[in-house]
Amino acid sequence: MISDANRQWLLKLLSDGFGKSFWWFFAFAIAMGVVCYQMLGPEAFQAAVREDLKLVTGMLPRVIAALTVAGMIWVLLPRDRLSRLIGKKSGFRGLVIATAAGVITPGGPASAYPLLAVMGSAGADRGALVAYITSWAILGMQRILIWDLPFMGAEFSLTRFLVCLPLPILAGLIARWLPLSLSLVEERQPQPVSKGPAPDAQSEGERK
Amino acid sequence: MNSVGMAIIYAVPIVLASYALSRRDGTFRRGMTRAVEQFAMLVPRMFCALVAAGFVAKLIPTEFISRFLGDEAGITAIFIGTVIGLVIPSGPVVVFSIAATFAKAGAADSALIAFITSWTIFAFHRVIIYEIPLLGVSFLRLRLLSVLLLPILAGLMTMGVNRAWEWISVS
Repeated sequence: MISDANRQWLLKLLSDGFGKSFWWFFAFAIAMGVVCYQMLGPEAFQAAVREDLKLVTGMLPRVIAALTVAGMIWVLLPRDRLSRLIGKKSGFRGLVIATAAGVITPGGPASAYPLLAVMGSAGADRGALVAYITSWAILGMQRILIWDLPFMGAEFSLTRFLVCLPLPILAGLIARWLPLSLSLVEERQPQPVSKGPAPDAQSEGERK
Repeated sequence: MNSVGMAIIYAVPIVLASYALSRRDGTFRRGMTRAVEQFAMLVPRMFCALVAAGFVAKLIPTEFISRFLGDEAGITAIFIGTVIGLVIPSGPVVVFSIAATFAKAGAADSALIAFITSWTIFAFHRVIIYEIPLLGVSFLRLRLLSVLLLPILAGLMTMGVNRAWEWISVS
């Protein structure tokens, strides 16, 4: 027996997952598949599909792990302390801390972006948010160790790391200086369950 | 290295989840709820994006492009590297094998660094799968404007460093 609030929550999940932009993605994937098939022939197409499936099955457990981490951090993190470290009044030091945090954040985008959302909802400064995600993207240790080093060699990786080291801080300074308004998804969205009754869901429940 | 990375990836959630469970105040439940919500929001899109990226990667004429990234092309090569990094909608597997192909074909360090930096910053698939659903369009706009020039800057700085290095070792 599923309670009403739970059912609404599940329906919200479904509409989040399979919303409009999902179908755009879906159409794009199919279109690219057709182009690939037409231009490169069935063998290349099949090879691409095989690689894709291997990639997806390899990634799924990692994504689950990363989202679990992000969810736990979201509830465990002391927000007041975090916002003091990288909040609106954190100054240049906040940018340096955000950059360092980006370098050491483990995992792919499935962990970095949920963490960024956590920081945003904890009141982090816009410069610090941009510095963090830029730093994770260009300087992230895990990516450098797993990808840069084996593919491009030690000398190249080190050059890239050193040359790029000041860039996230620069990006953070630019973000503070830009006269743009910023409203994060997290601040705008009310909690999904408290959104009021969905009439369709109820009538469907009665029929069953 | 990979196995150590994998161990960390799975150990961290287990440690955090057991700590949250041990608090016995619903922390674990709230954390898992959020994780499931984000999973539902991200994974269907991610699936399609990955499949599409696999096809796109097959369609990119890597060999052809690498002709324009040599040392003699200078700043032009940096621009080309930046633009290519901007349009590749796929993960590190594809990007680094492309970068390795470029390097083998004699691309300049500055162009390669501009390429990799540009991809890491703009990675189109990441923007659509994660950034827009989790942070929103106004954050995306702010971030893109803030980082617009970084790949070119990175390329130019690499060029400068390499020139300085040559100058020192010659004199």
